[in-house]
Amino acid sequence: MLARFSYDDRSAALLVLPVMAVLLVVAAFPILYSFWVSLHDIVLTRPLRRPFVGLENYWRMLGDARFHTAVLRTTVYTVVTVGVTTVLAVGVALLLNENFRGNKLLNTLLLLPWATPSIVNGLMWKWIYDPTYGLLNAVLLKLGLIEHYRAWLGDPDLTLLLISNAAIWKQMPLAALLLIVTMKAIPDDLYRAAKVDGATVVQRFVHVTLPALRPGLMLVLVYETMISIRHFDLFLIMTQGGPGDASYTLSWLIYVETFRSLRFGTGAALSYLLAMLTFLLSWLFIRAFGERNG
Amino acid sequence: MAAITCQGLTKRYGGVTAVQALDLAIAEGEFMVLLGPSGCGKTTTLNMIAGLEEISDGTLLFDTRDVTRLPPHKREVAMVFQSYALYPNKTVAQNIGFPLKLRGVAPAEIARAVAEVAEQLELTALLERRPNQLSGGQRQRVALGRAIVRHPSVFLMDEPLSNLDATLRLSMRSLIKRLHHKLRATFVYVTHDQAEALTLADRIAVMQGGVIQQLDTPEGIYERPANTFVASFLGSPQINLLRQGLPRPGWVPAGREVVIGLRPEDVARPGDGLVTLSGRVELVSPLGSETQLELSVGEATLTLRVPKDWRVAEGETLDVGVDPARLHVFDAATTMRIAP
Amino acid sequence: MQRKLMLGFFSVLFVLYVAGPVLWLLSSSLQQESEITAVPPNWLPPNPGLHNFTAIFTAGDSAEYANRGLSGFLPSGAANLLPSLYNSLQVGLWVAVLNLVFALTAAYAIAVIDFRGRRATLYTVLATRVIPDIALVVPLFLVIRNLGLINSIGALVVTYLAVTLPFTVFILISYFEGIPRDLYRASRIDGCGHWGALRHVYLPLSLPALVAALMFAFLTSWNEFLFALVLTQSAAAQTLPIIIAGFVMDFTTSFSFVNAAGVIAILPPVLLAVLFQRYIVAGLTAGAVKG
Ligand SMILES: Nc1ncnc2c1ncn2[C@@H]1O[C@H](COP(=O)(O)OP(=O)(O)OP(=O)(O)O)[C@@H](O)[C@H]1O
Ligand SMILES: [Mg+2]
Repeated sequence: MLARFSYDDRSAALLVLPVMAVLLVVAAFPILYSFWVSLHDIVLTRPLRRPFVGLENYWRMLGDARFHTAVLRTTVYTVVTVGVTTVLAVGVALLLNENFRGNKLLNTLLLLPWATPSIVNGLMWKWIYDPTYGLLNAVLLKLGLIEHYRAWLGDPDLTLLLISNAAIWKQMPLAALLLIVTMKAIPDDLYRAAKVDGATVVQRFVHVTLPALRPGLMLVLVYETMISIRHFDLFLIMTQGGPGDASYTLSWLIYVETFRSLRFGTGAALSYLLAMLTFLLSWLFIRAFGERNG
Repeated sequence: MAAITCQGLTKRYGGVTAVQALDLAIAEGEFMVLLGPSGCGKTTTLNMIAGLEEISDGTLLFDTRDVTRLPPHKREVAMVFQSYALYPNKTVAQNIGFPLKLRGVAPAEIARAVAEVAEQLELTALLERRPNQLSGGQRQRVALGRAIVRHPSVFLMDEPLSNLDATLRLSMRSLIKRLHHKLRATFVYVTHDQAEALTLADRIAVMQGGVIQQLDTPEGIYERPANTFVASFLGSPQINLLRQGLPRPGWVPAGREVVIGLRPEDVARPGDGLVTLSGRVELVSPLGSETQLELSVGEATLTLRVPKDWRVAEGETLDVGVDPARLHVFDAATTMRIAP
Repeated sequence: MQRKLMLGFFSVLFVLYVAGPVLWLLSSSLQQESEITAVPPNWLPPNPGLHNFTAIFTAGDSAEYANRGLSGFLPSGAANLLPSLYNSLQVGLWVAVLNLVFALTAAYAIAVIDFRGRRATLYTVLATRVIPDIALVVPLFLVIRNLGLINSIGALVVTYLAVTLPFTVFILISYFEGIPRDLYRASRIDGCGHWGALRHVYLPLSLPALVAALMFAFLTSWNEFLFALVLTQSAAAQTLPIIIAGFVMDFTTSFSFVNAAGVIAILPPVLLAVLFQRYIVAGLTAGAVKG
């Protein structure tokens, strides 16, 4: 019976079994199950009646005003976070790619935000933004940039940007690392050739570094977008969607819908919408960047 | 203890056929060399015998036992790789003793066997070193040691000498030959170096395009090449192959399109029974014991090797004698040898 | 000269940006509640002391904390901090160790063996890697609840395994592919089966990648928040981020105490990151660049 399968097949099956078991039970099955849930009207406070409703959960959410707000907030947050992270990461990568004394130390420091748990990150920035005891007020006052202390996170116009700032601080290092790896792969000859041709530093950056950086940049954009669009931790710990609906993002909406309203059907439908949005966006990025590259 | 029989052995990679229905019977204790240009399927054949590549089609027998589907660690063959493939994290002694350790041999017995092999290969002083502290020749000897320590009945070697310099290659060649005499095991040896093949082999299988072109003793391959490919692959400098310009032996049917081959060394001073060719010496390259020269005869240019006491000079006219019996005749269309 | 100035200037900016916030957190954690709530703030602790940390490690004994005459309120969950630290360690170590075993064998099979279903396996691993966590939360909650595993460390271990395995398998595959194939061949000829080749060739030669995978698994588990929030409900299984998040959202909390808790949570991952910097960076970038 087993003889039909070669020694290689049998060994491989045994060796991948644990991973496949974990992934199927804890990832693949829940995803399918979640689809089933999203097609039913499941409310945890009413455990016995769970009628099949088809795509109604999706339609309901697509028409919900909170959903529209959440999409808007998520978009703003994602665009700001990804944009600033990328620009900062390019700068940091350029700096760390130089050879100078202390470079090693800076490289080590770069891992500090990356290793910081996101909850501590939220706690730390919330403390910095604190209306009375926070560092931000103190520094800005000292520099003469503000005249009175302000409640930063309480300002609906600023909340999203301030959360974004915390996220950027944590996400920038990995982006910079990826770009540094890409930069190290650029042959020195390219720079020498450009120098011989009389290119200035800026010209060299635009004509040599940036084009060569394109694969790394694509990676960073896709990765950061995926992370940002579904980010949750900071919203819970810093603002809980507030003030008002100033930081009411999709992930926060999913959380509220599922674990506060206990409406699992719509929660699952929202999760699917978010997942599809993520895939769509990364696909677009890869098309836009990948093709011009090839 | 182990004859190897390949019956219709075939290896396909997707759409590419690397080895095509190969039939080869290797006798017990024989030294078989697989010879051919790069990409002809030598390594693939060897790996199929070793069990490292799955056999797409055909049957492989060790003696009468069908081992076609047997995984490599059950086949009890030893192998030496071109890259030596020494375990970088193990010492020389551990590398050599590894196959025994896997077979559950007692440590004391392993130590004794390793010492014996090391003695034989002059590795005793190096036993505690790691592979990255060895020279290429030393690494090669360790790889050999790892192979012979098990006293296997089948040895497979994939271009084991091609990473060595010329002098080392010669001494390793004779070491391998002595090993074969001593062990009397079956050797399958892959190379693209004809000198290696000719000196080592009991029989040579010349391959091209995944197919064996000729299977014969070294003399047979050299003296009676089965086709123009084999004729030109062996011999240095290459055989002269011409449609015109060389004499047609009398037995060749008139009117048949043929290619005539003349080995560079098959010339003498003109004499009885020899056909005389007369030409102009274009180039003279002294090789020490002999002289290589290019002679233009009519339209054709022949490469010849003559004794150095001929003392020829460039530009002079030279007459050489050719024995028609030593000419090789091939069908122009099929490239196959035509025998008298 | 000009280059030197520029580099110096940007280096200082970089250090301020990256280390500044953490240093302030550290400074706050070493101050007393009265010092930390001073306006304008004390940049450096006027009387640096470990009292907040002592409070945490005396299991949040609020009586003792109050007796020391320190102003400020202890969070209601202070006593949970130490157990949660222990939970976090436990979860992290389990995930790291299981990752090592599972990822090692799977990566070996995918990288080395040419077996039926190899592509399908690889794609399954890849596909689960791109599923967003948030999409997993709801169904996973339901699955774990139906299995009766809610509020257990096991639930977190299994979940984090699923989250980290695709990445660690990937790190190892890309490392394995760099190990000369002839070494594998030699080991098979010498008498190793697949298990032997894994043990005698791939395991000893891939130490850097293994360290990277271990670190990645541990750090991810240590830092994870969303799943822990949903899958655990009491101190029996809650991890450090959950307890700390509870403090932060509790308005009566003593700031200095919370900041100290934050420092404790930051310390292990940062130490590991610094100690194993080389491996981590190599692993992170290898996994990402190849994917
Ligand atoms: N894994 C593979 N996938 C696809 N084609 C392959 C693979 N391995 C080998 N081939 C092809 O099979 C043919 C035979 O390869 P093989 O390695 O046996 O040649 P070889 O005679 O050993 O050459 P060399 O002297 O260069 O080592 C080649 O054309 C090669 O391109
Ligand atoms: Mg080869």
